[in-house]
Amino acid sequence: MQYLVQLLISGLAIGAIYGLIAMGFAVIYKSTGLVNFAQGEMTMITAYIAWTISTTVSGNVFVVAAGAILAAVLLGLIIERLVMRPMLGEPVFATVMVTIGLAVILRSAINFIWDAYPHGLDIGIGRGIVHLGSIGVRTGQIAVIVTLLLLLTAIWAFFRYSKVGVAMRAVAADDRTALLMGISATRVHALAWAASSVIAGIGGVFFALSYDLSPAMFQLGLKAFPATILGGLDAVLGSGLGGLLIGITENLAGGYLGSGMKEVAGFAMIIVVLMVRPFGIFGERDIERV
Amino acid sequence: MIKHLAAASLLLTTACLAIGPAAAADPGFTDTEILIGDVEPLTGPPALLGVAASIGHKIAIAEANAAGGINGRKIKYVLEDDGYVTARTIQGVKKVIDVDKVFAMLGISGSGQSIAVMPVLEKSGIPTVIDVAPVKFLWEPARKNVFVVGQSYEEGIVHLVNFLADKNPGRKWGLITQDDDYGITVRDGFDTVVKAKKLNVVYSGNYKKGQQDFSSDMLQLKDAGAEVFLAGGIIGENIAMMKELEKLGIKPVTGIFWPGRIEPVLKLMGPAGDGIYAVDYVEPFAGAAGKAFLEKAKPLVSEAEFKGINRYTMTGYAAAKVLIAAIERCGKQPTWACTISELEKTKNVETGVMAPISFGPGVRFSNQKLQIMQADTATLSFKPVD
Repeated sequence: MQYLVQLLISGLAIGAIYGLIAMGFAVIYKSTGLVNFAQGEMTMITAYIAWTISTTVSGNVFVVAAGAILAAVLLGLIIERLVMRPMLGEPVFATVMVTIGLAVILRSAINFIWDAYPHGLDIGIGRGIVHLGSIGVRTGQIAVIVTLLLLLTAIWAFFRYSKVGVAMRAVAADDRTALLMGISATRVHALAWAASSVIAGIGGVFFALSYDLSPAMFQLGLKAFPATILGGLDAVLGSGLGGLLIGITENLAGGYLGSGMKEVAGFAMIIVVLMVRPFGIFGERDIERV
Repeated sequence: MIKHLAAASLLLTTACLAIGPAAAADPGFTDTEILIGDVEPLTGPPALLGVAASIGHKIAIAEANAAGGINGRKIKYVLEDDGYVTARTIQGVKKVIDVDKVFAMLGISGSGQSIAVMPVLEKSGIPTVIDVAPVKFLWEPARKNVFVVGQSYEEGIVHLVNFLADKNPGRKWGLITQDDDYGITVRDGFDTVVKAKKLNVVYSGNYKKGQQDFSSDMLQLKDAGAEVFLAGGIIGENIAMMKELEKLGIKPVTGIFWPGRIEPVLKLMGPAGDGIYAVDYVEPFAGAAGKAFLEKAKPLVSEAEFKGINRYTMTGYAAAKVLIAAIERCGKQPTWACTISELEKTKNVETGVMAPISFGPGVRFSNQKLQIMQADTATLSFKPVD
């Protein structure tokens, strides 16, 4: 039983990180209809900036958090303004290719700006081990699970009750009608990129706290993307929960079926789920009137 | 008159044919300069080894240039990035040979990349000293123009597992390896000793390249009761494994392989990494030879490059020293044939960073002596133990 509980806790912790990054994918898709293949790289850049702040400015957790969030907002806005906005109205394929190109550039930037060595993000908290009964858990792992749950609630409330959230849903549903109603689609897009960058960046910072920073960190995006597909590409909350599901499935498969199955299990689950619900567990079915 | 002209023409033609090979001689040098090429991963995670190896080459070249160069010619280093992508390695090697027209090659990238580029190197005939990823295919069969400085991965693992087995008789073993050619090599070496010493292996895992979370793998290791553990990851993987074991509250006797034996890893592992064993054929930086190398390197490279020094810098340095010495012995007009012949004559060349290097007739592998080291977290260093 203890073995199972340990697998579940570890699965939830890594799944929460996948979930945060997956929510980043979903926020952009929901608002712009675009899959951002540079999501993993944006996550990595934010984590590296957090590390730079912690080693050069201050190791205080609040300074690092505020600096990282601000940096993530700027990163999202800059990418939207300089790279994505000129692509408005262009074919989706071309726009997606631009995000792939952006991913390669951001990945290479790590070596140019920082280096290829692994680094530890040390802000005084998150690395300690607490024991829940006889099970050891890092405080950073508990924090990321709690953070995901808080963000899920906050985002649900944001889309449900705030003016901006409703505007984003309106643009996602029908951008032309939203425009006629006085909603600026470009502003909504900018906001979506900034929000996506922050949410995924939080996942990246937690990953760096619990594990380490390295130029291989962009691969988190490859693990989080299936979580988005599983939860529903247009379902922000569903993507977060999809991350948890992927994390738990991976760990249970790794723990009971062997190490080799760990990386396969999440994708196997997606295949099965998509056969039954092609739009993901929480995604909305597209209905077109003919 | 016509007879004289005919005779003169004949003489001129004969002279041209006689000096032809020298005039069309091997490319890569002028009166003042000689070019040495290299292709390494300078971007992406494997840049950790590619950048470090290239720094080693630069140190040896700077040292030689400070002493006047090779017989008066300054060495120019032509370095290409392959991003650890095999197709780019082949493209890069072709570029430095055909476009930059270098005289000799150092490097080259990872094991898979070196293997893939071998036909290009063989066809060109350019003198090459490989130092980054020594795998048997590179010297078995021996290629005329390709020399390898180092020790084979298989021998390294056999040496490490033998040491750990002798030190921990009757213990339960665990092993985890990566699902690629590197992992297969580690597993093959491990299996050799398991059969010979009849080791009791209670856990054997195989992770997918790129895996970052090892919680279920290490939980299985703990559940199996492993007391001695061979961590077959490279860098980030080993760090994640050790931290996971720390979280689980167990500390098996652990061995790691030289690709992961870099000092910053110890800082990231923290107390979990204290006492882990490693095998290598280059000197640890904590020893006298390592300290002397760092002292030598400091004035020869930039501050940023100095920070990028790791064990691969030593392998790169040693290979470059051997190559430079061989070219130097060829005198004022070096040729590829002479350089290859002189490389073959390399006998007990001291580099200060590993045991003396030797090749021989038909011997293209330097077969370096191995040593076991142990991590000391307090000083963030590896210290020799045998």
